[in-house]
Amino acid sequence: MPTALPLALAPPSPAVASSRPVLLAERVTKSFRDGREEVPVLSGVDLALAPGEIVALEGPSGSGKTTLLSILGCILTPTSGRVVVDGEEVDPRRPGRLPEIRKRSLGFVFQQYNLFPALSARENVEYALQVKGQRGGRARDAAARSLAAVGLTDRADFLPRDLSGGQKQRVAIARAIAAEPPVLLADEPTANLDTRAGAQVLDLFRDLVRARGSALVIVTHDANVRRIADRVIGIRDGRIVAPPPAENPT
Amino acid sequence: MPNLALRNLLHDRLRSAMTVAGVAFAVTLVFVQIGLFLGLLDNASVTIDRIDADLWVTSRNTPNVDFAHGFPETLVQRVRSVPGVARADNLLVQFLNVALPTGAEEGMLVYGLEDFARWGLPWKLESGDLEDLRRGDFMILDASAERRYGPFAPGDYREVMGYRLKILGRSLEALSFTTSPIAFIDYRLVQRLAGERMSGRTTYILVRAEPGADLAAIRAEIGARLPHNDVYTAAEWARRSRGYWIASTGIGLNMYITVFLGCLVGVVVVAQTLYTSTMEHLKEFGTVKAIGGSNLDIYRILGLQALLAAVVGFAFGGGISAALAPAMASIGLKLIVPTGLTAAVFAGTLLLCLAASFVSFRKVAAIDPALVFRA
Repeated sequence: MPTALPLALAPPSPAVASSRPVLLAERVTKSFRDGREEVPVLSGVDLALAPGEIVALEGPSGSGKTTLLSILGCILTPTSGRVVVDGEEVDPRRPGRLPEIRKRSLGFVFQQYNLFPALSARENVEYALQVKGQRGGRARDAAARSLAAVGLTDRADFLPRDLSGGQKQRVAIARAIAAEPPVLLADEPTANLDTRAGAQVLDLFRDLVRARGSALVIVTHDANVRRIADRVIGIRDGRIVAPPPAENPT
Repeated sequence: MPNLALRNLLHDRLRSAMTVAGVAFAVTLVFVQIGLFLGLLDNASVTIDRIDADLWVTSRNTPNVDFAHGFPETLVQRVRSVPGVARADNLLVQFLNVALPTGAEEGMLVYGLEDFARWGLPWKLESGDLEDLRRGDFMILDASAERRYGPFAPGDYREVMGYRLKILGRSLEALSFTTSPIAFIDYRLVQRLAGERMSGRTTYILVRAEPGADLAAIRAEIGARLPHNDVYTAAEWARRSRGYWIASTGIGLNMYITVFLGCLVGVVVVAQTLYTSTMEHLKEFGTVKAIGGSNLDIYRILGLQALLAAVVGFAFGGGISAALAPAMASIGLKLIVPTGLTAAVFAGTLLLCLAASFVSFRKVAAIDPALVFRA
């Protein structure tokens, strides 16, 4: 674990410098139409992540964090600029291709966990694999491995309502990593957790990313995320800025 | 593999029960309404279907078997002489009045033949012997008449058009569309009861062709010899009799409207419960999209939920309808549900439920998967 938090804005991490980025955004802009007016949300964002790199994306509400995460996650397309995910350039003219990229290359972890309440922990993971095209014994084995990786083998048959917040988030992480995507995107993954559970989730993220070599972007307000991040990037008014000064993590 | 559609249905049990109940209600409504309609229509032609005749000769433009009017009975001789005719007899169908022990008077639909057994009428006897009918002032009354006339038994007397007639026996399943009870009385006695009006007159000539005879040729020949009458095959005559009630009484329209309303209720209930459920699970569908699921994946979930509701609802609705049949029979109503109708209602239920799920699908197809990032 790095002792000095790397708060680099422009310079990529040594890992990025030495390897092909698995996630790349160049001069990305995004604007939304509000009536007759174009409202810019992102303005010329550049970002590159290497395999195994953890980037914390910090910024106040309305700064464009979630929009950037949606574009990196191929849920939205940029108004202009270029996004490359795992070697495939996102083509805004082919929106039908986006689900394929999400399916193949991306794993999501949400603030609200977004687990399927009718499915057990194991089935939540298996269902995600099913959507991604894995079925039968292969999916069962992958789900079991994922749940074991997040330490929830003994809770595999529990419904989400019977799990604690931290356990739900671990199931969500198991779901995100089950298909071994090269890129993980997490949206405020510790926001609904107490300090201890949040710390456990962050440690889990760090260990998984290190072990599997995935890139991880964490959108957060939680200063504790800096503990595991290789880089911290600030975003304000749709532009990449120097990250806010580190507060004392709780 | 986890089946999200099925698991969601099992998870939201109350809502699923409401959806299934809506489908079951609609299916029951459709089965009962069409079944009763078919039962009534069956009454409209049951005697035609059961009498063992190939051709029916009627007065010109007779609308249905119950509303017969007379023509000279001697015409039967012309029919009997047509080559290929094995047998031809006069049949009298008349509405007569019967006085009840209570002092009330009721209507009665009387079938008069000289030889009932020869034509297979009545086709089911609870008691009595058809051969005895011609031996005096006797009648066989259908058991269903008890609902209108009160209890009766062989050996009882009833006054028909002022004449005392002894009840020789009871027939079964002889019902008329008009719900007037049916009685079987010797042909000559019916003429006597009907009075001067029917003296020397009949209302139908029943024709049975010789085996292998050309029915169309016989029909054409009878038509040529009786230019003021109509000649129908039994199937045509049954269809005409049923068609009269459908077209002229509004019962057909009533049936169609009720079936339409039943379907509408089913579709609205299914669409509404699925839609509400979909709205509550919107974030889950957004998650399916976010993790790479397509609209097709989501429609599979919604469509399967609708189909499961359709199958379970159909099973319940069919079961309820089957259970209602004996209760209906006890009040003299026939519920006829042929296999074809069952298959059609099942297919219709599946289709309408799928269509209902499409309302939800349109909503889900338009959702922005970015909603998964909203707290």
